Amino acid sequence: MSLAPDSRVRRALGSDHLAGWMFVAPAVVLIGIFGLVPIAWSAIMSFQANDLVSAPSWVGLANYQALAKDPAFIASVRHTLVYTALFVPLSVAGSLLVAWALNRKLRGVRFYRLAVFVPVITSTVATGIIFLWLLDPVFGLVNYLLSLVGLPEQGFLQDTNQALLCIVVMTVWGWLGFDVIIYLAALQGIPQELMEAAQIDGAGKWSSFRNVVLPFLRPATLFLVVWSTISALQLFDEIYVTTRGGPLGATTVIVYYLYQQAFQFFNAGYGAAIAYVLFMAILVITIIQLKVGGRGVYGKS
Amino acid sequence: MDNGLLIRPDRPLDLEAVPERRPRHWPFSPWHFFLIPLALMMLLPLIWSVITSLETSSEAQRFPPVLIPSALHFSNYLDAWNSLPFGHFFLNSFLYSAATVAGNLLFCSLAAYAFARLRFIGSNLLFVLLLVTLMVPFQVVLIPTFLIVRNLGLVDSVGGLIVPNLCGVFGIFLLRQFFQSLPVELEEAARIDGASRLGVFFKIVLPLSAPVLATLAIIQFMWSWNDFLWPLIIITTPQHAPLQLGLSMFQGTHVTNWNLLMAGTVMSQIPMLAVFLFAQRWFIQSIAYTGIKQ
Amino acid sequence: MRRVSIGTVGLLALVLAALVLAAGCGSSGGGATATPGASPTGVVNITMWHGDLDYAAKADNKLVAQWNKANPNIHVTALYNGSNDYALQKTLTAIAGGKPPDITYLFGSWMANIAKSPKVVMLNDLIAKDPSFDWNDFWPAERLAATVNGKVVGLPALVDNLAIVYNKKLFDKAGVSYPTAQWTWDDFRAAAKKLTIPAQKQFGWAYPADASEDTVWHWEAMLWDYNGDILTPDNKQAAFNAAPGVQALGMLGDMATVDHSVYIDTTNTKIQQTFNNGHIGMLVTGPWDLPAFPNVQFGVQFMPANHQTISGPDNWVILNNGADRVNASWAFLKWFTAAKQQMYYDLQTGALPTRQSQQKLQPDFQTYLTKYPGTDLFVKNMGNAVKARPTIPQYSKISTFLGQAIVSVLLGKSDAKTALDQAAQQTNAALAVPGQ
Repeated sequence: MSLAPDSRVRRALGSDHLAGWMFVAPAVVLIGIFGLVPIAWSAIMSFQANDLVSAPSWVGLANYQALAKDPAFIASVRHTLVYTALFVPLSVAGSLLVAWALNRKLRGVRFYRLAVFVPVITSTVATGIIFLWLLDPVFGLVNYLLSLVGLPEQGFLQDTNQALLCIVVMTVWGWLGFDVIIYLAALQGIPQELMEAAQIDGAGKWSSFRNVVLPFLRPATLFLVVWSTISALQLFDEIYVTTRGGPLGATTVIVYYLYQQAFQFFNAGYGAAIAYVLFMAILVITIIQLKVGGRGVYGKS
Repeated sequence: MDNGLLIRPDRPLDLEAVPERRPRHWPFSPWHFFLIPLALMMLLPLIWSVITSLETSSEAQRFPPVLIPSALHFSNYLDAWNSLPFGHFFLNSFLYSAATVAGNLLFCSLAAYAFARLRFIGSNLLFVLLLVTLMVPFQVVLIPTFLIVRNLGLVDSVGGLIVPNLCGVFGIFLLRQFFQSLPVELEEAARIDGASRLGVFFKIVLPLSAPVLATLAIIQFMWSWNDFLWPLIIITTPQHAPLQLGLSMFQGTHVTNWNLLMAGTVMSQIPMLAVFLFAQRWFIQSIAYTGIKQ
Repeated sequence: MRRVSIGTVGLLALVLAALVLAAGCGSSGGGATATPGASPTGVVNITMWHGDLDYAAKADNKLVAQWNKANPNIHVTALYNGSNDYALQKTLTAIAGGKPPDITYLFGSWMANIAKSPKVVMLNDLIAKDPSFDWNDFWPAERLAATVNGKVVGLPALVDNLAIVYNKKLFDKAGVSYPTAQWTWDDFRAAAKKLTIPAQKQFGWAYPADASEDTVWHWEAMLWDYNGDILTPDNKQAAFNAAPGVQALGMLGDMATVDHSVYIDTTNTKIQQTFNNGHIGMLVTGPWDLPAFPNVQFGVQFMPANHQTISGPDNWVILNNGADRVNASWAFLKWFTAAKQQMYYDLQTGALPTRQSQQKLQPDFQTYLTKYPGTDLFVKNMGNAVKARPTIPQYSKISTFLGQAIVSVLLGKSDAKTALDQAAQQTNAALAVPGQ
C-alpha cells in the first residue's frame, strides 16, 4: 500500500506542501488535541497519583505494581477474558450460520433480515434496560417461560454465577445483525461457478461449504473476529446499565473497573495505568489474531 | 482487477440477491424452522417492552405476566416524558449527532483528499501518527480528554460532547481509500483548466463521493446518537444530557415503575428505528461497505 | 473557475487552531474558576441540586418559585440531578469538572468526606452572626450529623428514621396479627415467613441489596437492636463482627436463604413499586417513602427487640463559587430551612419535621399528622435514634466493606461470621492508615 500518490498524479498536480498542510490542518489540530495529546498525557498520568482536582505527584511504577497485585483488577481481567472468549465465537459463528440461512430465496427473507438487524439499531442502554426487565428474577418474562416448561426460577443478573453469561446473551443479541450483514455481503461475492463446480464434483453440502465457502469468507471472518474481540475487551455500557459491576463484582470488567477508579474514587493515575494495560492487551491480541488469521488471505494458497 | 475487496464500491449489497438453487422436495424450505424462532428471539424483547409500556404499574408486576394489557395506556408515554426533560434529551442528541456528522464530513474529507492526492512534506509521518491513534482504545484518552474539555470550560455542555468528536480518524481512512479509487483524469483535466485544488475538491471529487459520504454520515450519526460513556463522564445535569444518558438517568430513579421505564425506553428508540426503516438500504450498505473495506 | 482562496481555508484553520490551543493553555491547572454570579443587572444566579422527584420535586419547585418571586435579586434554579445515592460522586465530579452547583444535597454519612474538599463553605460563622437562624432548634441527631470536627458542614435538609411499614391487607389475608411494640426478631421472622406465598410472588420482607449505604444502614439498625456497635468507642477498630453483629446478619441471611421470605433487589430500584403493588408484606423504611404507597393501607411500628433505629439526617451543603453566590446561597437556605417552609414541604411529602419548633405550628402540624398516618410514630421514633454512624472520613470505605459482606450473605455466598470477619479485617486496615 503506497502512501504517496503515483507519479502520474504527482506530475499532474504538482508539489503541494502548503496546500497539503492546509487541507489536513483542521483534522490535525482536532486529532492532535483530542487524540495524540491525550495518548501521551495518559501515559504520563499512569506514572502519577492524580485525583483530578489537586496537583498530581510522581509515583513512578507504583500504579503498575499495584495493578499486578490488585485482586479486584485481576478479577476484572478474568471476567473480561471470559466474556470475550464466549462472545466472539458465539457471535461470529452464530452470525455465519444465520447469514448462510438468509442467503437464499425464501418467502419472507426480507422480513427475516430486518428482524435480525433491528437489535443492532437499539442502543446499548436500551438493550440493557429491556433485558433487565426480561430477566427480572421474580416478574420477568424469561423466568415465566421457564416455569411453563417446568424449569426452576433463575437468578440471572442477580446471580453471581449467571450474571456474566446473561451479559453475553444480551450483547450477542444486540450485535448479531451487524456480523450477519458483513457475512451476507461476503457470501454474495462468491462466484456462482465455484459453488456449482464443487457440487458437480459430487461434493456434499457440508464439504462444499467447508472447502469452498469458508476459505472465501476468510477476510470477512478475520475482520469480524478482530472487531468483535476489540469490542468485547472494551465492554462497558451494558454493565453500567444492568449490574453496575455486581452482584458482588461478578460482572466488573476492565473498563468498568477503570471507570470506578478514575471517576468514583478519583484515582486518575491508577485509571490511566489500567487504560494502558488494556491498550497493550488489545494490541497484542490483535497482532496475534492478524498473524494467525492473515496467512493466506492476501497471498492465494 | 483484484484489489483485495470482496465487493466493488459501485455494486451495492443487494438485499434481494439470492443464489439459484435446485428445486426442492418440500413445499417450503426447512430453513423456516430455524429462521422463525430466530426472528422471534430477535424481536421478542422489543415487542415485550412495548407491551409493558402500555400496561399499568400493577399489571406489569402481575404473575403470571399480563400478555395483553387491559387497555392501551398511552398516558405512560406522557408521564415518562414529563418526569424528566426528555425534550432536552432528544434536542441534545440531535445537536451532538448533527454537529459531529458535519464536522466529520468536512474535516475528514479535506484531510483524506490531501493524503490521497496531494504530496506534501511530512505526509507519511502524519499518516502513521493517525494510524497509531486509530489503534488506541478510547479509554486511554478518556481521562485526559476530560481534563482538556474541562480546561476549555465545556464540562456539562453539548459543546463538550461535540468538540472532541468533530473529526475522527476512521473517516479519514474510509474516505482516503475511496478517493484513491476514483479515476484521476477528471481532476487532472480540471487542474489543467486552471481550477485550484480546493475547487477541484469541492466541484469534482465531493460530488462523485456521495455514496461514501452518506456512509460516513450514517455511521457517525448512529455512533453519536448511541454514545454513552463520554456523555456519562462529561455531563452532570439532565438538562444537558443526550438521549442514552438521559435514559439511564431515568432508569436510576428509585420510584421508577417498569411500565414508565419501558415507555421511556421505547420512546428513545423510535427516532433511530424510524430513520432505519426509512433508509434501510443506506444503513445496510454502509455497514457492508465498511466491514469489507478492512 | 474561481481561484478559490486556499488562503482562506488555511487562515480559518490556523485561527481555529490558535483559538483552541489558547483556550486550552490559558486555563490550565485544573479546578474551577470562580465565575462571578452577578450578571450586569445585579441578579445573583445560584443552582441547587437535589434528588427529589414527583410530589417532593413539586414541593421544592413551589418553594423556590415563591422565593424567586419575593427576591428578584437572587434567582434560584433547583435541578433534579439523579438519585441521591450518587450525589457525592456527582458533586465531586462536578467540582473536578469545574462546574459545581452552589447548593447540593448530600447524605449525612458523607459529611466527613465532603468536608475535605476546599470548595465546601463551613457555616459556623454564618450561623453565629445570625441568632434568628436558631441552630439549636434542629434535632440533636441532625446537628451531630452535620458537624465534623467542630465545623458545621451543612444545614439539615431531611431527618428520618427506619421503622416497620406493613401492608394491613396482606396481614389480614394471611391471618397474621399486626406487628406490636413487643415484637422480637423471631416474631418478625415468623410473620415474614407466613406472609411469603411463592405462587403469588408475594414476599414477607424486602431488602435493598446493591451493596450501597442503603444496604448497610438498614442492617446497622438491626445491629443496634441486637445491642451491637459498628466500631469501638475510640473509632479505631471494628466491633460489628462481635456476637451481636453475627446474630443480626445471621438472622437476615437465614430469612433470605432459608425461609426465602425476603425480596432481594440488587438494583435497589424495584422495592417501592413492588410494595405498592401488594407483593410485599413488610418493609423497613422511612417516612419519605410513605407517599409512594397510595395503593396500600399501611401501618407503622417500631423496630423489633429494643426498638433501636437509625436516623439518616441529610444536609444541604454550600459550595464556594465566589462571595456573591455564597451569600446568596446562605440567604436562600436560611429561608428554605425555616420552620414555615419546612412545614409546607413536610405537608406535601410526609417527611419528618427538621425543626422541633414545627410541632408548635398549629393547625398545620395536626393536619400533617392526620394526613400521614404513621408519621406520629416516626416522630416518636426519633427518640429511639440514640446511636449514630461514625462521622469519620473512612466511613464510606467501611460502608463498602459492610455492603459487600451483607450482600454476599443475602445471596448465600457466605455465612455471617466469615463475611463480617473479612469486613472487619478490611475496616481495621483502613482505620490504621494515618492522617485521614
